[in-house]
Amino acid sequence: MINPFIYFLLFLKASLFSTGGFSNLPSLHQDMIANVWAKDSDFGQSVAIGQISPGPNGLWVISLGYLTYGFPGAFLALIAITIPPLLVLVVSAGYTRIEHRAWVQGAMHGVSLAVVGLLLTVVWTILRQPGVDWKGLLIAAGAFGLALSRKVNILIILGLAGLVGYLLYR
Amino acid sequence: MRLQDPGPGKWQLFRIWASIGLQSFGGGASTTFLIQREFIEKHRWLSIEEFMHLWNLCILTPGINLVALTVLIGRKLGGTWGIVVSLAGMLLPSAIITCLLAAIFKQIEHVAAVQAVLRGVIPATGGIMLLVGLNYALPLIRRGYKEGVLYLLTSSVIIIACALVVILFKLSVIVVVLCAAFLGALFFSPGPGSPLLEEEQREQQ
Repeated sequence: MINPFIYFLLFLKASLFSTGGFSNLPSLHQDMIANVWAKDSDFGQSVAIGQISPGPNGLWVISLGYLTYGFPGAFLALIAITIPPLLVLVVSAGYTRIEHRAWVQGAMHGVSLAVVGLLLTVVWTILRQPGVDWKGLLIAAGAFGLALSRKVNILIILGLAGLVGYLLYR
Repeated sequence: MRLQDPGPGKWQLFRIWASIGLQSFGGGASTTFLIQREFIEKHRWLSIEEFMHLWNLCILTPGINLVALTVLIGRKLGGTWGIVVSLAGMLLPSAIITCLLAAIFKQIEHVAAVQAVLRGVIPATGGIMLLVGLNYALPLIRRGYKEGVLYLLTSSVIIIACALVVILFKLSVIVVVLCAAFLGALFFSPGPGSPLLEEEQREQQ
């Protein structure tokens, strides 16, 4: 049977040693499979649910919690992913002490550049998914244009994209 | 920074974060876009430079960066209570829906219409993410024009290099960020004659 305390600690550990919403997956996969608390298919399904449900993309862990341990699992997963980001308060306290050094300003400029580069890799990853063909790329371009105009609600853009997808691929 | 709006109340803050959370589909792309629009463009509680500064701190923090950003913006706009209501707004409604969807999903997973809709929604999140990247890049490029061609060129090379090493060599994101920080310290630290550097030299003497 699932030990709730250890179950929680596995989720917490995976999130503490990750950055972003998905890099805790390998660690969770190893531990949950080793304990026979999850099947392989639970992971694929959880990530898919995370894609179609609202919230930051790290919330896929909540569906993993639900699929493996019901509502208690979802609750423990939510607590486990909320704790590590609170460390930003520690990071920010340490950072204000050194932020006026010249090298720190240069380094942070470097980090900002890396962030732009990493966003490009996310665009790349999304547009390289198996279901995305040239029509998908046109949808991406259309969504980019609509968002650029700043006149259309993001939910409407995604709704239109879903409708176009339905008409093209059903 | 110019504050053009008085700060938000707790309930308003909760509602803004809840609406951001609930409108965020397909991961971080639309979330960052919505945060920028609500807090920078609509209410002007943050400047884009300030936002970038907070975001840099979030990159250095473990876990979901957007949740760390929620903590920082919450604290700036409402102290400890700001953190609590912002986290609750950002996470609770979305988490409950995610959980319910997990319960429903298994039954409709193989329906063709669901698959077709997803094939439209997924590339659209890619397009929105590209705009978020552009929003980040603009202040950096503007600064590059002021500092000269070499600065602009070095910046562009670092952006492209970061993207390529992750795509081609699957290098860990943390390693990439640390390398970029090191290169930044090497190439972009304010040079001699800058008031900041002189101040530091005085400290050392």
